[in-house]
Amino acid sequence: MNNINDPNKMQIEILKRTYLISILPIAYGLISGEFETLLGFIFGLVISTLILRLRVINIERSLDMAEEKAEKFIRNRYFIEYTIYFIVLAVARLNPSLNFLATAVGLFMIKFTVLLWMLLDMVRGGLNKKLQEYKKLKEDKTEKGGN
Amino acid sequence: MVEFSPEVIDMVIRAAALLGAGFAMIAGIGPGIGQGYAAGKAVESVARDPEARGNIITTMLLGQAVAESTGIYSLVIAIVLIFTI
Amino acid sequence: MVELSPEVIEMVIRSASVIAAGLALIAGIGPGVGMGYAAGKATSAVRRQPEARGSIVTTMLLGQIISGSTGIYSLVIAIYLVFT
Repeated sequence: MNNINDPNKMQIEILKRTYLISILPIAYGLISGEFETLLGFIFGLVISTLILRLRVINIERSLDMAEEKAEKFIRNRYFIEYTIYFIVLAVARLNPSLNFLATAVGLFMIKFTVLLWMLLDMVRGGLNKKLQEYKKLKEDKTEKGGN
Repeated sequence: MVEFSPEVIDMVIRAAALLGAGFAMIAGIGPGIGQGYAAGKAVESVARDPEARGNIITTMLLGQAVAESTGIYSLVIAIVLIFTI
Repeated sequence: MVELSPEVIEMVIRSASVIAAGLALIAGIGPGVGMGYAAGKATSAVRRQPEARGSIVTTMLLGQIISGSTGIYSLVIAIYLVFT
């Protein structure tokens, strides 16, 4: 249900669900596997959380500018974020105690969470609609049966 | 007739496969521009009618997820080229 | 029969992978252009209705999360290629 109007509340909701879903890979890393996948995954999660916070600050700063200035501002800030991702991935690749693939998966967790959230909402909305249709059908039947 | 030893042949194939993987990832431009355009139009229509936010956001995310699929095709091809050929 | 020493073979493969990494990073401009367009529309939207500021920021945040993740696919492939 995207009835959340405040960007701060929205961030907290997204982060809550991300950390909930990310329990699975962390448990897998703890039980059967090395320590490297776990570290890489947590590294990716932390960096993606920080970049989410950075994006909200950039958006709020860009809403008070003129139109063309806002475009160039957001484009430059995106290149800075790209450089941050580059440095993080290069460090994860060159370090023998961090798994590269786990870091990349950790960086994608937020996007995965948002898509799953939308899917669940659509499924729930579809089920509620069908329930209401059945209720309407039942009421029509009882009215006709009564009359 | 010019003959090449088998190692040279393998080298040429491997170098061409790596170059192909690099070319394939240029296709990441498409979903980037398209998804940003959809987000911009969604923001504009939220300003027109702030009540219909839920429907607008659901539609936008649906469209963006479908536009994502072409990017993933090229990623799969690049991975297959790097790791198997 | 043409034969090359193993170092020359390794040099050719490594140079091919570095060129491929450089080509793959061209896909960094896509999300930048898309996000810039969205930011411009957000500015004019806020000017129209200053009360819907929270909704506009939230919508744009969701759009940006999805749109900025496609540029990272190419970055992952490029870094895998560059550092052998």
